[in-house]
Amino acid sequence: MAVRKSHGHVVIIGGGGTGAAILHDLLLRGFTATLVERGELTSGTTGRHHGQLHSGARYAVGDREIARECMDEVRILQRIAPEAIEMNWGLFVALNEEDNAFAPEFIAACQESGIPATEVPVAQALQMEPQLNPAILRAVKVPDGTIDAWRLPLHFFATARANGGMIKTFTEVVGVIRTAGRVTGVRVLDHAAQNEYDIAADLVVSATGAWAGQIAALAGIALPVTPAPGTMVAVKKRLNNMVISQLHPAGDGDIVVPQRGLSIIGSTQWQTDDPDTVEVPAEDITYLTARAAQLIPAFASTPFHAAWTACRPLAGSSGSVEDGRKLSRDFLAIDHGTTDNTPGLISIIGGKATVLRAMGEQTVDMICHLFGISEGCVTATTPLMSHRGYYNPALAGERAPTGGAL
Amino acid sequence: MKTVRFRIARPQRAEQWQEFDVPVQDHTTVVDSLEWIRAHLDRTLMYRHSCHHGSCGTCGMVINGTSALACTTRVVDLDLETDQVVTVTPLPTMSHIGDLAVDPTPLFRHFPAAAGYLRPSEANRGSTPPEEVPQYKRFENCIECGLCVSVCPVINLREFMGPAALAAYNRELEKNPGRSDELLPQVEGAEGAAGCDRHLACSAACPTGVYPAKQIVQLRKKIEGWQKNRESGTTGSAGDGSPVVPL
Repeated sequence: MAVRKSHGHVVIIGGGGTGAAILHDLLLRGFTATLVERGELTSGTTGRHHGQLHSGARYAVGDREIARECMDEVRILQRIAPEAIEMNWGLFVALNEEDNAFAPEFIAACQESGIPATEVPVAQALQMEPQLNPAILRAVKVPDGTIDAWRLPLHFFATARANGGMIKTFTEVVGVIRTAGRVTGVRVLDHAAQNEYDIAADLVVSATGAWAGQIAALAGIALPVTPAPGTMVAVKKRLNNMVISQLHPAGDGDIVVPQRGLSIIGSTQWQTDDPDTVEVPAEDITYLTARAAQLIPAFASTPFHAAWTACRPLAGSSGSVEDGRKLSRDFLAIDHGTTDNTPGLISIIGGKATVLRAMGEQTVDMICHLFGISEGCVTATTPLMSHRGYYNPALAGERAPTGGAL
Repeated sequence: MKTVRFRIARPQRAEQWQEFDVPVQDHTTVVDSLEWIRAHLDRTLMYRHSCHHGSCGTCGMVINGTSALACTTRVVDLDLETDQVVTVTPLPTMSHIGDLAVDPTPLFRHFPAAAGYLRPSEANRGSTPPEEVPQYKRFENCIECGLCVSVCPVINLREFMGPAALAAYNRELEKNPGRSDELLPQVEGAEGAAGCDRHLACSAACPTGVYPAKQIVQLRKKIEGWQKNRESGTTGSAGDGSPVVPL
């Protein structure tokens, strides 16, 4: 491939799923890019995700567009990273009459969003998932799945690194450099070498989620982001193959995600000030275990494996956020040149793991617009390298099994 | 809530070791404790972590002398009567980055190329998947944490591909038997399956039930059968998973 001139150098702060997808997309569109992460990759919110790949069914009643976007992305991820997904579909189950009455509206909303949600007889649902609560009143099948929250982003990082992207872990941003009002780089602390240095940038993207307020503050910008932690609990056995959700408008502890040899119940949600000091509330473990047992009774008698929290970022309600360009209904990319008279800095807030590729596409569309270039996105049709390719490029490819052995 | 003292190796720094007192509850894990230290006492502490539930495989370290995942090791389960403090050091046999953080690149040096990461799911055997799902699948047990390699007595004695890579070869051949002629020559030498001295330390250390030592035994059997076929003039396979045919 001919070497072409870079459109510019972009520094991405944050090694989560969002940063991974932005980095990958930038390189395919002719930018040079450096990603810095203060710890290991996906050590913030991304890696602690319970792993649900959302068909969008959970969101369809509230917002058809988000639901449709999720469905589109599930299909795309199956094409570009098939080995990072347990694609076993999901069941929404009614536990009570109120849930049961919600079903027609739920199915209609899914179908209007392009999600093939179909009711299956309870007896058939129990054949699909023998450990389901046999007292369920109704079941609806949807194309949910499970991702590996470390290895799916690593597919993006592996591909980006092979395409020339610089990835610097244990490299913490300690300052944002401004020249004549414009952001022109970042000052970083290399934790391993214990020294500080500057990285120049034509644009800086803060993909730091619940930490975005802290980064914006380094640039003298007030960006209200509220960290919203939630607890998850895993037990030491895979009790289900399909994702099991309660058929109701979203609430706490209403989804059991199978993953590898585990089943995981998620989640609770509260709000906090500092995403670094969140601890697991002991009462959440009891509560979530009881909630899981309503969906899958055996959950309560299966040995405890782990409990942990992850901090979602909630966009604050003050002026700067509301003025931001809303790229999707739950995902904001804020050009601080427009909102805070500080060009050269973009903050990304919100989003969800399922749509990480789309967040990358929309953010890089915005970056191309700022640079005045037209360069189409090709990430939806570009297969990703294996996660192992991140550590050994000879392991870039993956193939599906041809045999049926366990 | 009680307070436990952590003694943490920081080999790249002048002090070499540093101690921190950490409040712990019954469910507090070693990784929770490291997070607490970084948030409250020392923002420069380096360690790898991601999923916090034993799925990603990043947080392997040596805790009171035992290779373990920090995220599924509860502090109250450690024998603090004997050890008094929780001593944590980085995982050996990896490249050291700083403090407890290592680069796992050496782990992946000998893995088989083009190996997938999904396998058929054994959960609820006999259940009927929806018509859109030909077969329930799940991720491989191996989370590529490197604990098995860190305890392998052979690795430090001589060139040896190691339990994680050899187990990955066996798993790949279970799923894609048609690759025998391609993959078995890569593991039949002294550095491959024959190099295992059956100490079984790998199987004891594995946090996800891969039992690498058992995988190596199975791999040896595959090699023996394949070598026998080779000597008797039959191919190991047709290369596409179809039944073995004589030449």
